[in-house]
Amino acid sequence: MSDLPALVVVVPILGALVSLLSGIRWDRGGWYVAAATLAVQVGLAVSLAADAFAGEPGSYAVGGFTPPFGIELLVDGLSASMVVLVAVVALGVLAYARTAGPRSPRFFATYLLLVSGLSGMSITGDAFNMYVFLEIVGLTAYALVASGEGGRPAVAALKYLLVGTFGASLYLLGVGYAYIATGTLNMADLASELAAVGYASPLVRASFAFVVVGLFVKVAMFPLHTWQPGAYAGAPDSVSALIASLVSTVSAYALVRIVLTVFTPEFLEAVSFARPLLAATAAVSIVLGSLLAVAQTEIERMLAYSSVSQFGLVVAALSVSNAAALVGLAVHLVGHAVMKGGLFLASGLVSTGADARTVADFDGLGSRMPVAAASFGALALGMVGVPPLVGFFGKWYVVLGALEAGAWGLTAVILLSTLLTLAYFARLLERMFFRETPEPASGAAVADGAGAPDLAGDGAGDTVPGAADLSTGMYAAVVAAALLAVGLGAAVPAYESALAPTIEVFLS
Amino acid sequence: MIDVVLDRAYFVVAFLLLGIGAHMLIGDRNLVKKVIGMNVFQTGIFLFLIASAYVAGASAPLLTEPGPYVSPLPHVLILTAIVVGVSLTAVALGLIVRIYGEYGTLRADLVGEVDGGE
Amino acid sequence: MTDIASFGPLAAVLVSAVAVGPILLSGGRPNLRESWTAVAALVKFGIVASMVPGVLRGDTYVTDLGAFLPGARFALEADALGILFALLASFLWIITSSYSVGYMRGLDEHSQTRYFAAFAASLSAAVGVAFASNLLVLFVFYELLTVATYPLVAHDETDEARAAGRKYLAYTFSGGVAVLAGTALVYWLTGTVTFTPGGIAGLGGADPTVARLAFALLAGGFGVKAALMPLHSWLPDAMVAPTPVSALLHAVAVVKSGVFGIARLVLDVFGPDAVSELGVGLPLAAVAAFTLLVASVIALRQDNLKRRLAFSTVSQLSYIVLGLAVLDPTALVGGLLHIPAHAFMKITLFFAAGAIHVETHTDDISGMAGIGRRLPLTMTAFAVAAAGMAGVPLVAGFVSKYFLLIGAISVERTLLAVALLVSGVLNVAYFWPVVYTAFFESAEDSDRKPLIEGPLGGRFPWGADAAGDADPGPVADGGAEGGRAAAATAAAGDGRGHDADDADHTDAHGHGHAAGGWERRGWTGGESTWFMLGPILAVALGSVVLGVVPDGAVFLRIVRLVVSGVTGVSV
Repeated sequence: MSDLPALVVVVPILGALVSLLSGIRWDRGGWYVAAATLAVQVGLAVSLAADAFAGEPGSYAVGGFTPPFGIELLVDGLSASMVVLVAVVALGVLAYARTAGPRSPRFFATYLLLVSGLSGMSITGDAFNMYVFLEIVGLTAYALVASGEGGRPAVAALKYLLVGTFGASLYLLGVGYAYIATGTLNMADLASELAAVGYASPLVRASFAFVVVGLFVKVAMFPLHTWQPGAYAGAPDSVSALIASLVSTVSAYALVRIVLTVFTPEFLEAVSFARPLLAATAAVSIVLGSLLAVAQTEIERMLAYSSVSQFGLVVAALSVSNAAALVGLAVHLVGHAVMKGGLFLASGLVSTGADARTVADFDGLGSRMPVAAASFGALALGMVGVPPLVGFFGKWYVVLGALEAGAWGLTAVILLSTLLTLAYFARLLERMFFRETPEPASGAAVADGAGAPDLAGDGAGDTVPGAADLSTGMYAAVVAAALLAVGLGAAVPAYESALAPTIEVFLS
Repeated sequence: MIDVVLDRAYFVVAFLLLGIGAHMLIGDRNLVKKVIGMNVFQTGIFLFLIASAYVAGASAPLLTEPGPYVSPLPHVLILTAIVVGVSLTAVALGLIVRIYGEYGTLRADLVGEVDGGE
Repeated sequence: MTDIASFGPLAAVLVSAVAVGPILLSGGRPNLRESWTAVAALVKFGIVASMVPGVLRGDTYVTDLGAFLPGARFALEADALGILFALLASFLWIITSSYSVGYMRGLDEHSQTRYFAAFAASLSAAVGVAFASNLLVLFVFYELLTVATYPLVAHDETDEARAAGRKYLAYTFSGGVAVLAGTALVYWLTGTVTFTPGGIAGLGGADPTVARLAFALLAGGFGVKAALMPLHSWLPDAMVAPTPVSALLHAVAVVKSGVFGIARLVLDVFGPDAVSELGVGLPLAAVAAFTLLVASVIALRQDNLKRRLAFSTVSQLSYIVLGLAVLDPTALVGGLLHIPAHAFMKITLFFAAGAIHVETHTDDISGMAGIGRRLPLTMTAFAVAAAGMAGVPLVAGFVSKYFLLIGAISVERTLLAVALLVSGVLNVAYFWPVVYTAFFESAEDSDRKPLIEGPLGGRFPWGADAAGDADPGPVADGGAEGGRAAAATAAAGDGRGHDADDADHTDAHGHGHAAGGWERRGWTGGESTWFMLGPILAVALGSVVLGVVPDGAVFLRIVRLVVSGVTGVSV
């Protein structure tokens, strides 16, 4: 195995340093350093993924210490997907952040550290190392949330910090239990050692409970989601897009990794509370997350609650843990990250361009900002799971998996979640396209049949007060996300077969 | 019963710290006290893990000492975790300074009122 | 029976989807925009029609785009059943396009670009439904059809239209979820969801409870768009859409996609044998029979012409479902033939209703006394189509209903046969008043309409309401607008002068009739624009052709092919 796994963690850290140093001389240098670093990162991630999908799942011994004594980096189909996802989304959001986001070199240094932490979480094969990366991600995310102006981001960040630390500490406690039971921290080694200790051991069971609950906090499962709406709504738009798209996703990946690689499906079989814990949390999150989303008036808070509900679907797939469900899980993790990131960017776009931050502000957006509205609409439909958008594919596989496992209740909840999602997105669609802008200034444009609003106009066609603040990069990121949401579905069959070896390992 | 507790007095104390820390973290309205609670909570975990390394009658893991040794790994891990904890505290205190500057209070409920229920 | 690899099915689907781009881009130049629609419609029909001879020879055209999901490839397949629906939808789109131009410009509607773009997208989805080769591909297009038609329902941007749009989305997406669940169950039971004439092997032998559940979910899901009671209530509300939408989509493409889904379900997923083994045909037939009777009764009481037509659609769609559920080959022919037959007749009726709306701004039947003088050709076409609906010989409806009746009798489902006959009577009962009002009444001299005006149940003390008798005609709400109505009619004197009061065109209610009765127009087309008259006469002619020489029109041959392919019996 090449040094690629180490590089995807190290390169962003180096980039962060350079970005910070560049700030001494050149105030705007941070963005360019970050862009260059992330371009390299995308290249590294893609070649890492190419290796992982072509050959055997690989492992890399950090510093030459042989696992299980040293730290192992572990690359398989799922972790490679995460690394690529992190790199690509980070680059996309960066394109948006150039004009929109905080522009200080410190911001971009933190941004790159977050990318490093996320990449590290994706490929580490060591339970304690996971904790360290989890905290790196946490620390940088708190700092990024607080990077906005005013007091609100700081309050949101502090709340995020307190709750997030609580979750990470629980995770550490769980890892401690596992260590006490087995004397090892390497994931693969833990799996066999835990089995040797016996799943009936209270140490092992307590370890599972602490780790899972700790990660539930990071993924924002109901009722441990309370940090999320505030953090997403308080952070600058580019930060909330990045965090909403990646942090929960990679945390969910960590949960999957720990549950399947460390505790293995046999544990889920053997321990009576394991599956119900996952399934019940998932079902409650799906339903209550959606209901809370319906109750929101602020767009970003609504999207945050939508995440609670969507990650319920991921955890539901995890609780089922058969081949179909895991394909669905992987597809949904990637698809949701793209769609949710795109939705946050789009909502940032309209709040900058049309000062639309609440549901009511979306009235008539279709004629004020056609491109943004159309992208938002496409992404929202993807979230609902309208085929052939990518949101449908994940859901379909998870439904199949749940059916195969005979989990009827869960199947019903997942199917119903389509309608619940529709409930909070449909009203936005209606307001964007079938209501007129409240102020009567441009009323004539709609009454004139021949001069109907041109939906396909380009960014420059959006005549809105804040249009000067909108850059091509911002539009490009939003439109790219929408196109990905539409197009990724076509890649699902190939992705499924590429993922097959990985899933076989998970389930064996 | 008392013997059972006394045998594990160390663990009992560690978990008492966890409880106290969690209570302060969740229950207290003062932001600084919340952070202190977070620290107490983490300290409980650190102590718990370090205790797990203890082997009765063993010596420190030094080449010059005779075996058996206590496990060195938890110490290393907790050292890392302490560094993480310190960084978290630093970030948290930095945020609190900023919040105090904006709102002029450290009471979580009053900050919430100013922001309209955030 | 051979499969021919061909781009035909894909091209047929894509033509109108591709046209969406140019339509949106040429939004500022209406004539160019409408010519894109016209070109797309003609090309689409051409592609579909070019595949008809091959299909009649027993071939199937297949476009395979590769793997899609487990158990399903993303393949489009023009088989006999698919070509029936695609041919119908694409042919009627040509006519509707012309009508749309007349209608939308006649009313000077807003957002015409969005309207034409969404219309083209809907047609893509509808033909996709027709050519889907398995349940999953069908589901994809079924959902896309929902999304594409939503802007058309909510087009008016009034509170009423938005409410109708919400209801539409809620109903059809719920149906979509049921279809998805049923599809997943079918896949779980058999490992495939690909359509197989005569049914997917293994469904008959599967766990009957789960198989019944799958059938119920799929039938229920498709039943939403097919407007089976009690899932029908979105359809009358959706009549708030512009009339060409009601005509093509809510009488043909969308609702028929539901019916078509049930046809696929009965014929190609479960197969008639499995359906009768599982005993799910009879409940479906019962629901259909209930719907066709009750909807007819409700239609009797609708004063708004489009709503009356909508309930008529609900009722007529159930004829098709009934034909499918009876499982007798003859009834199958009848049911499937009713797809094109009803399409031609109902589209005539809607076109006529739309022409009345554009020319006179009248929506309520009570305001139409003597309107035959104003719109002679339109109302004649209406009368012909209405006769067909009721099953009068020499019009399309007779042929399909005849087959249905024979089928129902030959399997000794006498009750169903009785339901069919009773419904025929009810059809007359709710269409005749319209024709009668239009031709044999006038504003001064019109009869009471107790069914519409009286309370439900009819125990209204008419004798005590003598004063009401003196009131010339049922103008309870029309009369209040008498002043405006007079103005409207006066303005209509110069043909297209109604533009003057186009602010009124979103009014849900009609304007009543002018005190002096309708002005008399000749039989030479002075009553309206030929953009609208042409389509009306064309589809009316089509209904008659289907009724006079059913074997001459291609639809019956295709239907026979479908039925013999599924049951092995040639009818």
